[in-house]
Amino acid sequence: MEILVCVKQVPDDSVKIGLNSSGKPAVDGVTMVANAFDTYALEMATRLKEANEGTITVVAIGPEKAKDALKSCLAVGASKAYIVNEDGLGDMDSLTTGYTLSKAVAKIEELNGAKFDIIFCGKETTDCTTGMVGAQLAERLGIGCVTGIVDIELKDGGISVKQETEEGYNVVETSLPAVVTVNKPAYDPRYPTMKSKMAARKIPIGEISKADLGVEDDKIVPSVKVISLSEPPKKQAGVKINEKTFEDTMAKAMEILKDAKVF
Amino acid sequence: MDNCIFVVMETAEGVIKNVGLEMITPAKEIAAAKSLKTVAVVLGKNLAETAKQAANYGADAVITVELNSDYSSDEYAFAVAEICKKYNPEAVFIGATQNGKDLAPRVAVKLNTGCASDVTGIKMGDDGKIHFTCPVYGGTILAENVIDTLPQMATIRGGVFKKCEPAESTAEIINENITPENVKTKIVDVVKEISESVNLEDAEVIVAGGRGMGSAENFSLVKELADVLGGVVGATRAPIESGWISRAHQIGQSGKIVAPKLYIACGISGATQHVTGMVGSDYIVAINKDEDAPIFDVANVGIVGNVMQVIPEMINEIKKLRA
Amino acid sequence: MGYILTEEGKELVATVKEFCENEVKEQCKEFDMSGEFPENIVKMGAEMGLSAIEVPEQYGGVGIDAVTCAAICEEMAKADAGFYTTMSATGLALRPVLIAGSEEQKKWACDIVLNGGQAAFGLTEPMAGSDSSNTKTVAVKDDDGYVLNGRKCFITNGGIADFYVIFAMTNKSRGIRGISAFIVPKGTEGLSVGNHENKMGIRTSNTTDVVLEDVRLPHSALLGKEGMGFMIAMKTLDMSRAYVGAGAVGIAQRCIEEAVKYSKQRITFGSPISNHQAIQFMLADMDIKTETARAMVVQAVLRQEQGLSFAKESAIAKCYAGDIAVQVALDAIQILGGYGYSREYPVEKLLRDAKIFQIYEGTNQIQRSVIAKSVLKGM
Repeated sequence: MEILVCVKQVPDDSVKIGLNSSGKPAVDGVTMVANAFDTYALEMATRLKEANEGTITVVAIGPEKAKDALKSCLAVGASKAYIVNEDGLGDMDSLTTGYTLSKAVAKIEELNGAKFDIIFCGKETTDCTTGMVGAQLAERLGIGCVTGIVDIELKDGGISVKQETEEGYNVVETSLPAVVTVNKPAYDPRYPTMKSKMAARKIPIGEISKADLGVEDDKIVPSVKVISLSEPPKKQAGVKINEKTFEDTMAKAMEILKDAKVF
Repeated sequence: MDNCIFVVMETAEGVIKNVGLEMITPAKEIAAAKSLKTVAVVLGKNLAETAKQAANYGADAVITVELNSDYSSDEYAFAVAEICKKYNPEAVFIGATQNGKDLAPRVAVKLNTGCASDVTGIKMGDDGKIHFTCPVYGGTILAENVIDTLPQMATIRGGVFKKCEPAESTAEIINENITPENVKTKIVDVVKEISESVNLEDAEVIVAGGRGMGSAENFSLVKELADVLGGVVGATRAPIESGWISRAHQIGQSGKIVAPKLYIACGISGATQHVTGMVGSDYIVAINKDEDAPIFDVANVGIVGNVMQVIPEMINEIKKLRA
Repeated sequence: MGYILTEEGKELVATVKEFCENEVKEQCKEFDMSGEFPENIVKMGAEMGLSAIEVPEQYGGVGIDAVTCAAICEEMAKADAGFYTTMSATGLALRPVLIAGSEEQKKWACDIVLNGGQAAFGLTEPMAGSDSSNTKTVAVKDDDGYVLNGRKCFITNGGIADFYVIFAMTNKSRGIRGISAFIVPKGTEGLSVGNHENKMGIRTSNTTDVVLEDVRLPHSALLGKEGMGFMIAMKTLDMSRAYVGAGAVGIAQRCIEEAVKYSKQRITFGSPISNHQAIQFMLADMDIKTETARAMVVQAVLRQEQGLSFAKESAIAKCYAGDIAVQVALDAIQILGGYGYSREYPVEKLLRDAKIFQIYEGTNQIQRSVIAKSVLKGM
């Protein structure tokens, strides 16, 4: 089975990102990592591969540095990687990203000499959080799509997935090929081993340029434009109560809360 | 019916989800500025009564589409796109529910247009375009977006806008028949694991617990405090993954986004992923033994202390006050 | 600051760091309190290959260079010195096999370690620590092999090892030259785990007595030749010592990190205490010691890797790093003041963990003897 996992490199989401002095997201110096939901997608794909058989390819659109995210994927289940060089692609919104990815899928299928059966995406990225790219990729490819899944298995030549809902889950079936977007499953992504990490270093990462993709220029003009960025109004720092004794702390806290008519 | 704004309404067993009705409010404001009609597009099963509801909450007209289920990705995306192609709305608002977030991107591709995601603010710009406020980086940055193509699509976060006061309405109701094509996915089973209905979005008081509660037994203190205050119990991911409480209570980036009048955070360190979901609360009280916990940065009142001591004492004091 | 690493080394160390930050550091705090063994964390570490970093490439290992190995040891110890001790004790027990074992023995032992198994190095006895000539455990040879009897103590991984390397007297009259080394697989009849030590520090590691009662081993269990045991043990310790130094450097580095974090937050007389020269000089001295120890570790492991003499350098690295780890931990406690003395804060644990580095794998007194002997001989 041929599996593709789409990965985006994003700033570490455990770091709180505000705006810098020039009004842009202050991402300088923040470690870049593979998007958390994409790592869940890769783990799910890897488990599916281990339970059956198959090959996992990972793809990212981004700058040269995004190869680091791909390298980390190669150490935890993927065996091939491609980077779509973002040069010439300009600003992207989800619509143009979905389109570009659909072209990348075709190109990689040509290079691999095989069609993908399942394409995994994270359900959203932790930076832009639109959560739209996976479904839009599926639309472009004209194939089935299930979003927000937490489990997958092969069934009757297609797949059966668990899609998380507010009350529980749906069991959804679809034929292949298909796109799935992955929510946080019950398990965590594995760590690379010393061995897999070293082996991943030796795998070359394929490069795909804008020209290789054959994208039409009018289709990579983003529709959604960012006019301005701002930070939400800061909560003013409150009081922190830490008196010598527990009794004093509680007395002071209750006094403030009573005065503020909280209780 | 040219020159309209579509507000797409998701239903569950014939009842419109709150966010659907809430979206009528900003849609009407935009509509007023641009002399448009606000049209509710209601999809689902057995909609005869449901359509009326949308009209009563302020829609100028209602289009209903009877489908076989409350939601199914392929059918709904096809239906909404077809209706849009027929009526050419200027804008399409869809609730940012799980289904709405599944639906909107697919419709956007079918209509080849842009879509703003998880919108928390809407206003009419001087440029004649709708300006959408979208949280990015987990809500620490707000992006103001415009959409250059038509219709201007957006998914709108629940709880941000207030519903209009309902009033008897005589708005036109149009029934559209659409037979979905090209259906590729099939929901074969709907499993309800969580029976309790937890209404965090509408709660005025939320008492939430984190990893610092230590155990399922200790977590019951959170429930006890919530009961005393007539509030709802919330949680971070750790207690849910440890099985102390069900997923329905999760607050944060991967759970609910809440903004109650009072939020009490118990044994919650304050990771960005959680704070994102509760920072909009009017008044935040945090209890944590770690004096450096980041939760104190967003709290109006921070109590440095052991939750196992502080919560029981707080419950006592509140009971005394209320006696 | 830190090690000069290859690109590959940087990636490996970053991987270990991420794992230790997420899965070891905070979790082991609780295990330190309870004294329970963090079985799952050790399992995860072993699965990552952290106990197998020294397995040579030809036996299926990854082939990690010496400086990267030292940096990995430091990262593990920085998160929890007990965890580091568990992982590295397996490497310690594997070394005698690599030094003196047959191809078959090497392959067997490396496979166990590569598959996530642990091992224990059994030299110390109640009356024979630094003085191995006093070894009481005996191995009596007969036609079928050897029969071992005796008791080992303070054995790291004693209760969890998949195999043991046991040192026993085959010829008492020859003193240290009568000691031989044996591989004893887990579950061998007569081998049992005795008392678990309730330790001051490195409480997340497993330290037990190992009891041998008529343990029957085949001839093939012997490592090298009879009488080579002491030589094998000494060579093993020489080789591992510098990495023990790296572990101690990890504790010292953690002390600096905790002290810096605290001193930037803690306000006295209207300013963070990190602005006070008294604190700054303490931090500077802590860093001077730590960087110096780290540089010595690098010097020792590089000499070893390049085939130069390294016994004295390893002894200096271990001795110095162990001594400064204790001093730096004391300084960290002093900077944190009352909080430093409290179990709610991490630094008192660092002192308890640091102390063992002056004791195990040859006390620092023994290290000084080694160093002195070498200095005197050289002049």
